[in-house]
Amino acid sequence: MPTVTFLPGFHKADVPRGATILDAAQRAGLHVNVVCGGQGRCGKCVVYLKSGKITFDREKFGHFFTAEELDRGACLACQSLVRNDLRVEVPASSLVQEQKILVESRAAEIPFRPSVRKYSLELTPPSLTDTTPDITRLLEGIEAQGGPAANKIYAPLEVLRSVPQLLRQGGWRVTGTVALVPGGYRLIKVEEGNTEGRLYGAAVDLGTTTIVVYLWDLATASVIATASNYNRQIGYGEDILSRVNFARKNGLSKLQRLAAESINQALTAAANNAGIDREDIHEVVVAGNTVMTHLLLCIDPGYMIAEPYVPVVRRMLSTAAGRIGLAVHRNAGVYTFPAVSNFIGGDIIADILACGMTEREEISLLIDIGTNFEVVIGNRDWMLSCAGAAGPALEGGEVLFGMRANPGAMEKVRIDGGTLKPTYETINRVRPKGICGSGLIDLLAELIRACVIDRNGHINMGIRHPRVRQGRYFPEFVIAWADETDGERDIVITENDIKNLIMSKAAILGACMTLMDAAGITREDLAGIYFSGAFGNYLNKENAIAVGLIPEVPLDAVKNIGNGAITGANLALISRDRRRNLDRIAQQITYIELNAEPSFMDQYTSSCFLPHTDLSLFPGVQRVLDECRIRYGGAE
Amino acid sequence: MAMKALDIYKLLPKTNCKKCGFPTCLAFAMKLASGKVDVDLCPDLDEQTRELLGGATRPPIRLVAIGAGERSFTVGEEFVLYRHERTFYHQPGLMMQVADTWPEERIEGVVARVRDETFHRVGEDLSVDGIAFRWESGDADRFGGVVGTVEACASVPEVIIADDPEAQAAALAHCGNFQPLIHAACADTAEAMCDLARKYGCALAVRAGDLEELKRLVGLCRDRGVENLMLDPAPATLRDFLARSVEIRRRAVERTDPDLGYPVVFDTVPLGLPDAATALGILKYAGVIIIDELGPASTMAALTLRQNIYTDPQKPIQVTPGLYPVNAPTGSAPVLMTVNFSLTYFTLLGYLEAAGIPCYLFIVDTEGMSVLTAVAGGKLTETLVADAIKTTELENRVDHRVLIIPGYAAPLSGKIEEETGWEVRVGPGDAAEIGEYLETGWEA
Amino acid sequence: MSEEHNPEPGNRILEVRLGATKAEGGTRERVYTVGGAGTFPFLGAGPAAGHPPRIALEICDDTRTWSPIVLREVGDLAEDTGAWAAAAETTFGADMVRLSFTSTRQRGFDDFASLGTTVEEVIGATKYPLIVEGSTEPAIDSEVYRRIGEAAEGERVLLGTAEADRYRSVAASALAYGHAVVAQTPIDINLAKQLNILLHETALPPERIVIDPYTGTLGYGFEYSYSVMERIRSVALQGDADLARPMISSAIDSLNVKEVREADPETADEVAIRWEFYAAFSALIAGAEIVCVRHPGTVALLREALRALLEGSHPQEEAYGDESA
Repeated sequence: MPTVTFLPGFHKADVPRGATILDAAQRAGLHVNVVCGGQGRCGKCVVYLKSGKITFDREKFGHFFTAEELDRGACLACQSLVRNDLRVEVPASSLVQEQKILVESRAAEIPFRPSVRKYSLELTPPSLTDTTPDITRLLEGIEAQGGPAANKIYAPLEVLRSVPQLLRQGGWRVTGTVALVPGGYRLIKVEEGNTEGRLYGAAVDLGTTTIVVYLWDLATASVIATASNYNRQIGYGEDILSRVNFARKNGLSKLQRLAAESINQALTAAANNAGIDREDIHEVVVAGNTVMTHLLLCIDPGYMIAEPYVPVVRRMLSTAAGRIGLAVHRNAGVYTFPAVSNFIGGDIIADILACGMTEREEISLLIDIGTNFEVVIGNRDWMLSCAGAAGPALEGGEVLFGMRANPGAMEKVRIDGGTLKPTYETINRVRPKGICGSGLIDLLAELIRACVIDRNGHINMGIRHPRVRQGRYFPEFVIAWADETDGERDIVITENDIKNLIMSKAAILGACMTLMDAAGITREDLAGIYFSGAFGNYLNKENAIAVGLIPEVPLDAVKNIGNGAITGANLALISRDRRRNLDRIAQQITYIELNAEPSFMDQYTSSCFLPHTDLSLFPGVQRVLDECRIRYGGAE
Repeated sequence: MAMKALDIYKLLPKTNCKKCGFPTCLAFAMKLASGKVDVDLCPDLDEQTRELLGGATRPPIRLVAIGAGERSFTVGEEFVLYRHERTFYHQPGLMMQVADTWPEERIEGVVARVRDETFHRVGEDLSVDGIAFRWESGDADRFGGVVGTVEACASVPEVIIADDPEAQAAALAHCGNFQPLIHAACADTAEAMCDLARKYGCALAVRAGDLEELKRLVGLCRDRGVENLMLDPAPATLRDFLARSVEIRRRAVERTDPDLGYPVVFDTVPLGLPDAATALGILKYAGVIIIDELGPASTMAALTLRQNIYTDPQKPIQVTPGLYPVNAPTGSAPVLMTVNFSLTYFTLLGYLEAAGIPCYLFIVDTEGMSVLTAVAGGKLTETLVADAIKTTELENRVDHRVLIIPGYAAPLSGKIEEETGWEVRVGPGDAAEIGEYLETGWEA
Repeated sequence: MSEEHNPEPGNRILEVRLGATKAEGGTRERVYTVGGAGTFPFLGAGPAAGHPPRIALEICDDTRTWSPIVLREVGDLAEDTGAWAAAAETTFGADMVRLSFTSTRQRGFDDFASLGTTVEEVIGATKYPLIVEGSTEPAIDSEVYRRIGEAAEGERVLLGTAEADRYRSVAASALAYGHAVVAQTPIDINLAKQLNILLHETALPPERIVIDPYTGTLGYGFEYSYSVMERIRSVALQGDADLARPMISSAIDSLNVKEVREADPETADEVAIRWEFYAAFSALIAGAEIVCVRHPGTVALLREALRALLEGSHPQEEAYGDESA
């Protein structure tokens, strides 16, 4: 089996010929970016081949790289097949690091009190005068060690069966593993000798596209490995709806198996990297959206997608790992995050836990943006939530030159107000192909500052400038001339693109305003706005406020929590108090159906303006725009 | 004063026990704040909180029923000064007057109109609600006789307009059991009028030009056991009515003056200007409007105005989804898709009929949302359109595969094409331009 | 959701002056100020009552799309725009004429010179302030508004219509030739506010804008127009400066709807007048400062109603007569 060595850390993994470098990296415990789920579409998993032989289609994927990068051996880890022993350099930019720092900093804020514990016991052997049954002796020993009361611990039959031999073979020196489960405690494992040091737990983000796993040493309170994998269900539909449809056509058990296998691969990689036995993983916490949670537990999600849109279960569920095929100790508890509604799932509850909004008196706003968006507002006493469709514009859809955050996408854009000359940065610094969500938000903000568009998003055709012109169907602004680009056409943004962007951003701001209105609070009451999800990573906060994607608050009050689902799952793994609270949080959240909320349309319409119809809600933006109008407004 | 949801929430048990039928205490608080549920649904409140919340969330204006039987109606239980704040719930009864001095034929003419005349609009039958008998003869027996004659053949809600308790008694002897509105008590007659109202279980209007005097009369009547009251602010001009009715409604809904928490009755006849007065009563909070013999054109306009003003702004009127032929189309006629918001439908239909172009109106079910709302709210989707094409068997009705969608649905054009396989063309955003669009731009 | 009901003291609807006298560089014998109120309509007295509302009679330069009911009523006047305009003031008793250039709606319209001539003709035939409606086709906006604006220079007419996606030409003409502008948006308070902000950013002074929140007609979405007007007045008095402008309402579909179009010829006038009256009267109650109708008979009915609503709140000469005298 070829060995792949990853530089600079000399992480090693043995993989069969034909496996991908990404597979090897995962086995080696390296947390490589796989935004597209390993399909060769995002260009995020760039690595450099230093020695050895691979199969990689440089023609097909060459557009992700510059010639110089290709000379240095650049390739995509997910699309490169291992032929023999390799040495591969992984640039820091291809690794996900920030999230770990975030997880660890949040974890450090709360008391470390996992739900599973080991008790190393030295028991007095029985005698004729002490005929206490074995199990009672064991449980009383645990109680004597400061564990739960013996009569509160349930010992399942299969554990019970193993007890007499283990006690005697171990010379009455054994270790019992006890987990806090709903309704009491459970003895999940008994081992000979002292194994207190071998207690591990896993936190899992079960995403529709990507799976992330964090492995904890629960004895030393530290993250010992992380791994990610794509969700192998992706072969049966990219979006949630198609997965549910596949599940309804007798595909439920297949999707369940794929979810478990995808998690197992990541768990295995993490365990290998940390040098531990998967059997010593005694607890798994999974945060996923409502459909993903249903699928992992093999519960039919079919009734969620048709009227009256009912999920089977919303509460936190626990089961034994063995029953859903997770490759950890078979009695290990698996806990899934509860949900509020079909749209506010466990991933959002995890976001809430991650940002800590329920732990404070001050009111926070949490926004998770993708094609769909979710918004939660509240504090430790109350919470309101809603979800809606933002449309694909913020992900580059419905925009002529829109694209996902892939190489060649303009991710940052500035426009000189005087000369109207744009400057931009592209992902991977290659020639521009299009514009991704963060670039589009920049563009919108810069176009209005330069007075090229009015607050309605209409291009001022009175401006005499070669970049401002009538396109085939709509007026448009030229961002890059053809000779600067990767293709043969000028890269433009049209009035229609701008309209779609405004409608997308208005749906999100309108949802925020609807919740704020329902709670009777104003932007001054907001102590923080948290972005969760990939979109927030690259977003320019100032521009997000300038275009009215979110309410105007001080810039430092806007925080990006990245992958809140994995952070939340970690916190629930290491804190029994946080986990115990999850159901309460979920039950406390009042879900507002935007379609049934009469004020939403009003809020939406007033948000269909840059930044908003009520300018007094954006005083800072208003000041800047007034200055811009004085400087550049006479551009006609 | 009305309370905000979070303020109400603070007074609730915060147990999220769901016994009220709502998933959380906050959800219940939000319903309470909007007056849509009663505080008694929460079983865990102490008496004091219950009273506080009840006072702040229950309808500030009393519900009063007029008439008995099929055409009886209720007024009151309103919450707001302006429709846009929520809605107006109980439309005013229009009561056409007859006087006991009129010749028999004239009275019969009015009675027949009230009984039989209906206008059909937007799926609703509109008609005047009842008859108001005015005592002009000074002869109680004659009054009773007229009421008795009409009562025998009309069976519609009634108002008895007579300041004199004896004349009232004479009329009520014939119709008291059918719960007419007694109009109206003043300081001198309050006692006797209350006795009549109690005897027959009728609603009673009190009349005074001064709000303080009205409140005093309300107190007097309540003390005599009459709770179903209406207020007649005795206006001498349109301006008087507007000022007094607005003030009564304002104080009632702001809950600053519970004694004014009763529906208003507006006797327009003495003011002249029948059209303006009727419209003003409809617009500005009257619960019962006594009108003169309005001609059919005025009646239709007044009833239409009432229908408009009492439409719930949050629940648009819907039309049934389906395929509607306009101007006798053939298989090659254009198919215009739009939503089942009735305003959209009727406006578009009006322009299409005026343009005289044969076509099909293809209405999809967006639950009454307008195009813009339905697109933004994700209600109007390609699957919805595809399903509707199947249900209406559109493919068998026309011999082409071209669908014209509203201008505001343009963002969906690609998706609809993909999902349905039909060629999608984006029509104008304004219904007024549809005629021109079809004349010049359409060819399958 | 719940808005406060009570106006903040001191907030006023902005005053817009229409028409210019000789002394001001125009030729009008009367000029009007609309707006100025600090209360809901017809509730105030003294300065808070603002200026009385005005009734405009709509006429057009190309009668092909005009209601046959009105054309029957006005007879030969329809063929002579100047005479029609003069009759609107003298015979029919309107406060002002609203001239619609319906001729610009025909395909390929290019007779721009006729616009200026007609404007001059109507100015010559009338003594009161004017409202002039230009094109509905963005492609010719610039030329149409330039011609109209130029021909009416100095008269301070109310120029229509600015919309959210085509306001620059109207605003430019109003700025260049000293006119006021009708800002029309489709029945939505937010859109109305947005257009006012957009116009403000073209440097058009706010006291030269009249809001048209759009009115279809009675029975066809009128409830929306009515509530939008009420709401605009309400937030304006709460202190929303972007909406503290007078409003104009013209129930433009009144004479096209089924109820009127299909009325028995015997009663058609009666039905047309009632349909227009109920919409216009309700618009006045909701806060419109200028209401526009097309049937001459509606003017008289509105006049009477207005008199009853204004009783005692305005000095006689301002309410019914020549304010500049």
